[in-house]
Amino acid sequence: MSSWRRFFSSEAKRSELDEEIAAHLAMAEADNRAAGADAATAHHKATAEFGNAALVKDVTSSSWGWQRLESFAQDARYAIRQMRKGPGFACAVIGTLALGIGAATAMFTVVDRTMLRPLPYKHPSRLVTISPAGKDQRLGFQTSFPDIQAWREQAKSFEGFAFYRQVSGRSFLNVDGTATQVALTQVSGNLFGLLGVTPQFGSGLRARPDTLAVAGDDHTVVINDLAWREIFHSDRGIVGRTVQINDEPYRILGVMPKGFYFPYNSITPQLWSPIQLGADDAKRSYASQYQVMGRVKAGITIAQANAEMQQIQMRIQKSIAQPDWAKDIDHIKMDPFASIGADKSTNHALLALLGASGLLWLIACLNATNLLLVKASVRAREIAMRGALGASRWRLTQQLVIEGLLLSMSAALLGIALALSAITLFNHLLSHLPTAGLAPFAGIVAGLSPRVLLLLIALTVISAILSSAWPAWMAARSPIEAALRQGGAQSGTAKGQNRLRGGLVIAEIAMSLALLACCGLLLRTIYALRHTPLGFRTDHILVANMEIPTYRFAKINAAQEIYMPLLERAQHLPGVQSAGLVTEVPLGNTFNVMMYLEGDKAKGLGTTSSMFKAATPDLQKVFGFSILKGRYFNEHDTPSSEPVAVVNQAFAKAFAPHEQDLNKVIGLKLMSISNKPGEKNENTKTTIIGILDDMHQWKIGVQASPEIQVLPDQVKPGSSFYAILEGVAMDLAVRTQRPPSEMIPQLRAILKQASPELADAKFSTMDQIVEDSFGSQQLAAKLLEVFAGSALLLCVAGLYGLLAYVVSQRTREMGVRFALGAQKEDVVWLVMRQAGVLVIAGIVIGMGLAYGAGRLVQSFLFGISAHDGWTLAAVAILLMICGGVAAWLPARRAAGVNPVEALRAE
Amino acid sequence: MARQQYRNRIEILQGTLDLLVLETLRWGAQHGYGISQVIRARSGEVFQVETGSLYPALHRMEKQGWIESEWGQTEQNQRAKFYQLTAEGRKQLVRDRSKWETLVAAMAGVMSPETGA
Repeated sequence: MSSWRRFFSSEAKRSELDEEIAAHLAMAEADNRAAGADAATAHHKATAEFGNAALVKDVTSSSWGWQRLESFAQDARYAIRQMRKGPGFACAVIGTLALGIGAATAMFTVVDRTMLRPLPYKHPSRLVTISPAGKDQRLGFQTSFPDIQAWREQAKSFEGFAFYRQVSGRSFLNVDGTATQVALTQVSGNLFGLLGVTPQFGSGLRARPDTLAVAGDDHTVVINDLAWREIFHSDRGIVGRTVQINDEPYRILGVMPKGFYFPYNSITPQLWSPIQLGADDAKRSYASQYQVMGRVKAGITIAQANAEMQQIQMRIQKSIAQPDWAKDIDHIKMDPFASIGADKSTNHALLALLGASGLLWLIACLNATNLLLVKASVRAREIAMRGALGASRWRLTQQLVIEGLLLSMSAALLGIALALSAITLFNHLLSHLPTAGLAPFAGIVAGLSPRVLLLLIALTVISAILSSAWPAWMAARSPIEAALRQGGAQSGTAKGQNRLRGGLVIAEIAMSLALLACCGLLLRTIYALRHTPLGFRTDHILVANMEIPTYRFAKINAAQEIYMPLLERAQHLPGVQSAGLVTEVPLGNTFNVMMYLEGDKAKGLGTTSSMFKAATPDLQKVFGFSILKGRYFNEHDTPSSEPVAVVNQAFAKAFAPHEQDLNKVIGLKLMSISNKPGEKNENTKTTIIGILDDMHQWKIGVQASPEIQVLPDQVKPGSSFYAILEGVAMDLAVRTQRPPSEMIPQLRAILKQASPELADAKFSTMDQIVEDSFGSQQLAAKLLEVFAGSALLLCVAGLYGLLAYVVSQRTREMGVRFALGAQKEDVVWLVMRQAGVLVIAGIVIGMGLAYGAGRLVQSFLFGISAHDGWTLAAVAILLMICGGVAAWLPARRAAGVNPVEALRAE
Repeated sequence: MARQQYRNRIEILQGTLDLLVLETLRWGAQHGYGISQVIRARSGEVFQVETGSLYPALHRMEKQGWIESEWGQTEQNQRAKFYQLTAEGRKQLVRDRSKWETLVAAMAGVMSPETGA
């Protein structure tokens, strides 16, 4: 039976009992009258004989065994009545708790999404990535096929190895004339088996068991659930159908289950096709390399497997033909598969923020405790009365705890709403997280995973217990007689309780100080980041990040046929001052090419790994960066003129380490950008013509890397650099006279005209790109602003509440003081002094907390120390001012006490 | 406290009150008031059955399945709730009665030496 029906039937049974007893009385009365009594006497006698009817009913109904349940229902009803009687108080408690629960739930939802989602594979903890590495095992390289085969033969600790490589450039799937960008990964035939995942329908990939690869003409593909739903509209008939990927026909074999991804989680549809071995795979070479993963056998630890692999790799070194870079790959770097794609600094930021939200929740609970303690002392008489009427201590506690539970459940509901709106509000910042921003956050149900719901329930219950059980127990325990005897409103609570409440306020202030200090440090960090000279202008620049159809651009001279005409048209748009193309704008963090350049040691040249970009001459006009020496590209650099390059200062220092005079770096020769792979033509080498001042490329706060820039139209199609410099990414940067956003439609039209795929380009302003590069710091600062602000508000409210209560309790005492000649200032001072003690104690303890918290946020700070004295001092002063304001109102009230009235009330 | 006292008395009387009620109902269905009147009359006005004990006992025995209840009319046309024995109740009556007889015999055995040495 549901509890509601039980409750209902108990009501019915109660009225039946009433009737039964009424019948008893009626029959007794009738008998009395039959014995000769008059009506009044008969009634009186019957009632007297029966005894206390209410008590009989109560004792009888208690034999039904539903008392507990009914008492809960009764308590809940009573609690609702209490809430209605004092809506202000209820709102204060619910609002306070909702703030805490909402903040903690929102943060946990984000952490849950980014860090706690298990990988969608079987026993993911036994999956590892394996890569050859140097002795320090810092950087792992990709693996060439002979090594993989050797590992497969020799390793005993693994159930198997699988390998994969991402197809370079962007891939497009063409269905019925519509091209969609997809992530195509070539995988070994055993990959899905190793992950322990089978397609939801259709078959998996097939491959030869010896090589795990397929022959060159075998074009098959398995697609993910997203691709199936969005591109093929959930059509089950697609298995066996042939589609065009990058202009080549592929036969669809199957569809992987929903939620499956490999190797990363992304919103791009994912496709997997089997690896085809090439001529390069016969020997250890740079040209054809793979990422390798293995599944460690059950019962074998990762450390054991690692030890075995180190030995095998050493052996391979001795037995297989040695390339000259062999020393870089004679060890093994092994990591849990779960760690790839995980961004340590973001995870760290999220955990720190989760801690901060937990602190806010704790502050909220303490504040609610304080409020309920006041309520309990105001209700002391009522509770004592109920005790006197026979309610047991447990029964009283139960009632108060149910009140608390009702309050915190309302708070939890409000908290969910707060959490969801907070997540929506911060969605832009969250979208920079590795996986959190991907799935639609708008989906409320999706946002609340079972883990989040569990946490919510735990928070609700613990909030109720923390905030109400204690006051309840104190109230129920206090002696009845004293409370009843003392009568008046000014009964004066025990000194111990005030001290306890003072302690709570001190704790609130201390924790708020820690939050405020962290917030202050992050704000100073953001300030420092914003005021770091970038070396280029960011205003009025619109950037279009283009999605290049690699397969089409690889077959043409993209610079001649697409980029230059496109740039020409953009430059002549009204409202455009200048326009330039560059592989990636500074701080864009969308795409980069690193190249390893070995200088001639005999000439005293160094070896550097540097960023490699293609850029057009007008880029300097767009960004306004400065040239230290020499010149930037200009209109005289044409496809047919001498190939030239511009480098930055960091490159000059790394490439010519012994050269003091930068002028001498100009004229040095770099690599060739027109040679075909394998071709050696010394005459086509590029010449350095200018040296740029260093600019931040990745992130402000990270030193500039060496950088080489070349002209896109000097890179010849077919050369080794062509595909990566022009076939993957290209940003169009435009300096506008009008607000940049107004130019988007016209620019999009030009892009579409150049090539239909480019119409999907993502537009952003350079200002926004710089803001976005603050990433986790920005997220942390924004959230801490909210958390610390709320904490400050709560502790001010807590302090005010305590002092206001104390003053209201002490009006009589104030009256006496005035009567004895105290001045208003003395009384104000009395209250302010009490506030001062609390605030100072809170600040002193808070300093200790802030010191610890500073260490936690240290890794996000830029341009400021974690224990910055000024920040701490500013925060302490802010708290003192707020404390002063909170104390001032009660102090004024105390000073305004009329001694005559206060004493007359006696 | 008042309620506590009632409860104590119920506990003290419980064994006997149950037996008295069951015995009364052996003669046919009866309502609460009737049961208390019958016990009073047959005990020669010695037993005053407290309603505060009787009704809880009736409801408890009904829950235990010894008796069952039904609304009906008295001869005076008063609507009342009538209780009657169930099969289980009859068995319980037999058990209680034999317990009671044992108790009486034992008590008598212990108490009889009053006239002796």
